[in-house]
Amino acid sequence: MSYVKGLRCRECGREYPNGILFVCEYCFGSLEIAYDYAKIRKVLSRETIEARPKNMWRYKELLPLDRDPTDGFNTGFTPFIRADNLAKILGVKELYIKDDSVNHPTLSFKDRVVAVAFSKAKEFGFNTIACASTGNLANSVSAQAAIAGLRAFIFIPADLEQGKVVASSIYNPVVVKVEGNYDEVNRLCSEIASKYKWAFVNINIRPYYAEGSKTYAFEIAEQFGWRAPKHIISPAAGGSLVTKIKKGLQEFYDLGLIDEFDTRLYVAQGQGCSPIVTAIQEDSEIIKPVKPKTIAKSLAIGNPADGYYAYDVVKKSGGWAEAASDKEIVEAIKLLAESEGIFTETAGGVTVAAAIKLIKQKRIPKDESIVICVTGNGLKTQEVVMDKLHKPLKIKPNLSSFEEEQKKVPTADHYSI
Amino acid sequence: MAKKVVKLTFTGEAIKKPLTFRMAKKFDVMPNIRRAKVTDQIGEIVLELDGKEENLEKGIKFLVKSGVIVEPIVGDIVE
Repeated sequence: MSYVKGLRCRECGREYPNGILFVCEYCFGSLEIAYDYAKIRKVLSRETIEARPKNMWRYKELLPLDRDPTDGFNTGFTPFIRADNLAKILGVKELYIKDDSVNHPTLSFKDRVVAVAFSKAKEFGFNTIACASTGNLANSVSAQAAIAGLRAFIFIPADLEQGKVVASSIYNPVVVKVEGNYDEVNRLCSEIASKYKWAFVNINIRPYYAEGSKTYAFEIAEQFGWRAPKHIISPAAGGSLVTKIKKGLQEFYDLGLIDEFDTRLYVAQGQGCSPIVTAIQEDSEIIKPVKPKTIAKSLAIGNPADGYYAYDVVKKSGGWAEAASDKEIVEAIKLLAESEGIFTETAGGVTVAAAIKLIKQKRIPKDESIVICVTGNGLKTQEVVMDKLHKPLKIKPNLSSFEEEQKKVPTADHYSI
Repeated sequence: MAKKVVKLTFTGEAIKKPLTFRMAKKFDVMPNIRRAKVTDQIGEIVLELDGKEENLEKGIKFLVKSGVIVEPIVGDIVE
């Protein structure tokens, strides 16, 4: 049974029936899914959700499918960790990590959106899936295409390092290296999406795909005991995630699944690519595109499609935004690993680093619940920390050599902020 | 004839000049404004451009050369 009413323009509010459409035909504003909440309210309760398997589809009424899902049955319901060690270091009372670095199948939050995109693409009758990606999205589309038995095309800039292609190529999609810069890949994919009958997950079925992000927020609320935390720090690339966290929590509140919703939302970006942070800090409704230069490649989107909407939800929630330098990102990755045993990619370093800054600035109070979003796995971006770690001890194969070297090991490294 | 949908961002000096008008006149391109936002610091306009393919290319190049940031309407796609 479908609970989707159709598509609605986020700019002018015009409504469209369900279909393969991603911008408003009148104002070219982006479209999002409108649901029949009255109908959902009748069937969805905490008990119904709790009785279902622990994956992202336990919230299926709030996802944009007309039929039962076909993909992503092992995706979602990732750990929600009370991070007491890190809390102690940061001097805060109640800190949590929502850990999508162990999401299935490809260790990033993108598995959620791609699972929705695949199920929807099949409803629309597509048999070829495509995306333009240099990282997590490409990995997820490739793996889930392998599971689903669909043909996948992955478009990447030709100069992308081989190491980054392996995590997609292993699933045997068609990888297309485009001899052009980043802008040219964007332009080409947009043209291909309008000509070929392929499901480009982040272009022509974007409104559906993006809804998958809400499950990240649903899980935070459920795992937090059917409550909304006071503060959530989210990474931002295109800006979609924070808007979907807001939408997800709002839906839970409106449906009576959580009793209160007074969450302040914060956005984190790398300093070399922070158009949304700049807009929030300067209070500009217009996002100025930038040329990205940051080690947080998974967030390096210079012209964020949902930038304005991210600005809007953060401002309305009473939140703020911070950018992290490359050095701060690396330090934060190490800090999270050493305190909580979580090895995150650069985007997680960005959110942890931003959280540290926001706490220091007293924008986030120390005695309220804080959730830091960790959306990807550090094994994918090892190169950024490789030279920043303690070197292994090198010894001769005898006890005295070990004991000699062992004396040089400091007892503990202490972090303070 | 071809059509292109673009988002133009004007900053600094570019905001004061009638660049869209000049582009339309010089390259025989018909701009159709669909959405716009302007502050005293920055301006953003979503346009549908109608004209000969080569003129559209030339017109966009002219805008870029004049300091306007020209982006496809869907934003960056490579994620």
